[in-house]
Amino acid sequence: MTSSPSDTEATVHPLQEFADSAAETVGGEAEVQFDTIKLRVSAERWVDVLTTARDDLDLVFFSWLSAIDWANEVEAGDPLKEEIEERIELLCTVGDLTEGRRVTFSTDLPTEKPSVASIVEVYVGANWHEREAAEMFGITFEGHPDPGPLYLPESFLGNPLKKSYPLLSREVKPWPGTVDVEAMPEKPSTENPSTENPEA
Amino acid sequence: MGVAQKFGVPKPVSWLLNWSRKYSLWMFQFGLACCAIEMMAASGPRYDFMRFGIIPLPASPRQADLMVVAGTVTDKMAQSVRRLYDQMPEPKYVISMGSCANCGGPYWDSYSVTKGVDQLLPVDVYVPGCPPRPEALMDGIVLLQQIIQAENIKEKWNQRDLEPV
Amino acid sequence: MVTDSDLAKHLSEAQVSVELQTEDMTLNIGPQHPSTHGVLRLVARVSGERCFDVKPVIGYMHRGYEKLSEVRTYPQITALINRIDWVSGYANEIPFIVAAEKLMDVEVPERAQYIRIILTEMARVSSHLVFMASYPLELGAATPLFFALRDRERVLDLIESVTGGRFHPNFNRIGGVKPNAGSGPITKKTPQDLPAGFLGETRDAMSVVLDTCEEIEDLVAGNEIFRARTKGIGVMPPEVGAAFGVSGPNLRASGVKFDLRKVEDYLPYDQFDFDVVVGENGDCWDRWWVRLEEIRESAKIISQAVDGIPPSGPLQAKVPKVIKVPAGETYVRAENPKGEMGYYIVSDGGPGPYRLKIRSASFSNISMLSWILEGVLVPDIIAIMGSLDFVLGDVDR
Repeated sequence: MTSSPSDTEATVHPLQEFADSAAETVGGEAEVQFDTIKLRVSAERWVDVLTTARDDLDLVFFSWLSAIDWANEVEAGDPLKEEIEERIELLCTVGDLTEGRRVTFSTDLPTEKPSVASIVEVYVGANWHEREAAEMFGITFEGHPDPGPLYLPESFLGNPLKKSYPLLSREVKPWPGTVDVEAMPEKPSTENPSTENPEA
Repeated sequence: MGVAQKFGVPKPVSWLLNWSRKYSLWMFQFGLACCAIEMMAASGPRYDFMRFGIIPLPASPRQADLMVVAGTVTDKMAQSVRRLYDQMPEPKYVISMGSCANCGGPYWDSYSVTKGVDQLLPVDVYVPGCPPRPEALMDGIVLLQQIIQAENIKEKWNQRDLEPV
Repeated sequence: MVTDSDLAKHLSEAQVSVELQTEDMTLNIGPQHPSTHGVLRLVARVSGERCFDVKPVIGYMHRGYEKLSEVRTYPQITALINRIDWVSGYANEIPFIVAAEKLMDVEVPERAQYIRIILTEMARVSSHLVFMASYPLELGAATPLFFALRDRERVLDLIESVTGGRFHPNFNRIGGVKPNAGSGPITKKTPQDLPAGFLGETRDAMSVVLDTCEEIEDLVAGNEIFRARTKGIGVMPPEVGAAFGVSGPNLRASGVKFDLRKVEDYLPYDQFDFDVVVGENGDCWDRWWVRLEEIRESAKIISQAVDGIPPSGPLQAKVPKVIKVPAGETYVRAENPKGEMGYYIVSDGGPGPYRLKIRSASFSNISMLSWILEGVLVPDIIAIMGSLDFVLGDVDR
């Protein structure tokens, strides 16, 4: 969308050139915001895009794979300011080992029954990351060699990181809200210039 | 000892038994999280807890007297915690170290954390802190030693569970 | 003619001529085990002394950080995230705070940057000293534990004098570091800055740390048993490591000269002169040696930072009292002592993030355990696992 606000003289971000060439090579749309390159691609070409990234763009280092649940109704936390189209956005960051470039590939999946091809053949390290995304968001990765829960016990029900999953302890005993630190007795009241709020 | 369970023991014997038990605790380190690092520091050269008679590493829980649960207990781990506690022979003591083991701590609203290890086993001493300093852990150990010294042998021996696990 | 050595060789490799029905055994290591660095469970199928299928089971320390971050504000999250990699507390906060500052477009004053670098490198020294202490212990050498822990206490004292916490400092604020650093009652006359004598003590502590490195090297490096147990064991080729996402000293030990401190700009490391330590073969010995040299490099950085810190200046930029980060997404990664640690913040303009993805180093480092532990002997499992230097809080978040 917008380039990093710290560039006042040049309106082109230093990463924009690489971002555009990467977008052309894999076939997608690139945007650079806050020093992060994000390349949007379509879900059908997910495996091809990442294979091209590994072979042609020399992005051999697999960083992480995860998802964002864009939803309008939020059980735990604050809802979004504006209504958006509900989807699950799958993100995968890969980088190179010479100059430190990194690209975040993103694709959109439907919220009901999201499923995409697995990239374990392209990057071996995606194995555990996909298992985690599967149990946290309910995404099905087709072709994954060893699906199954990674973090959660066998008897766990539900996908915790979806926005429709509530935190039961907060429903039983809600957090009282932001509380300013009160002055200690018998000492002069001090100003607290730091902006922290007391932790539970 | 059937005699102690039925009739109790005279005061000097009880004092001697408690004194010898409190200064020879064999500690089963159940270090789970960050508090384990503080426990390791407490057994290190600066805050040495071996001078209280606590020896750190038993070969297995079946030879331990004291279990220090240091760190967050998750629901997945809860079964193992209970099983290891059951494997310890009587008389046994539990110190819950750190706020995660006391009450869930900073993760009180998480979906996978057990809110306090006292939901699984009986705790004798709670050591607060996040993480508690090694001196705080030693303070908890000294408090436990005072509790042991003041124990009634007949009651303690009667609490034994004679069924092996 | 059969010589003695022939006979010995034959006996040692003798196949049993009688057909024995042997089965493999499933050996369950953990989750409570003195040397698994926490609650990691390995289900190993062994045949004799050689294991051929190791499956790690994780999740025994999963506390749900990413879900908890959605219901907390940014300062609250700062208090929570230094418990991810609990050995090096300060280094976990840095990428998160830098990401939030990037979204808010806040410029951090230079004195605060130097303090951040000093504390981050101290966290690195502390984490590597824990590795120096515990790794020889797993291989049977108990003495380096006490040397390393004794000197780690000095470093922790310094961190505590500035931040108040030994390894969960919670010292970063958006815009810099906490302005009321130091101890004592806070009055209007207290200079809001580092405690008196901190810089001099840091110099002394760094020379002590360098002496300890010499001691540990003398004790451990020449020891035949240590060398036999670590040289040539657990070799990791760099391509495999990169595909798995292994980073940090583990990848550098395989010969890849890649250090995020030189490449990323989250802290002004380009003003300091230090080398990137690279190993040769990628075995356990190299991973140990790379970390030892990294302690020396970090001590160098800290000495330079202490000499070059601007003598006065604000410690925190002006930010509003209630932090609201504008909308946007960014990913910032940093060189944690364990590897690459990054935070992907998706912000919607509220007091807390909409989604926070934590990329932790040890998660990727041990995802290759089933690959690297295939066909090794049972005692080598412990040697290899220890050399990867992971922490379960970092794995399970």
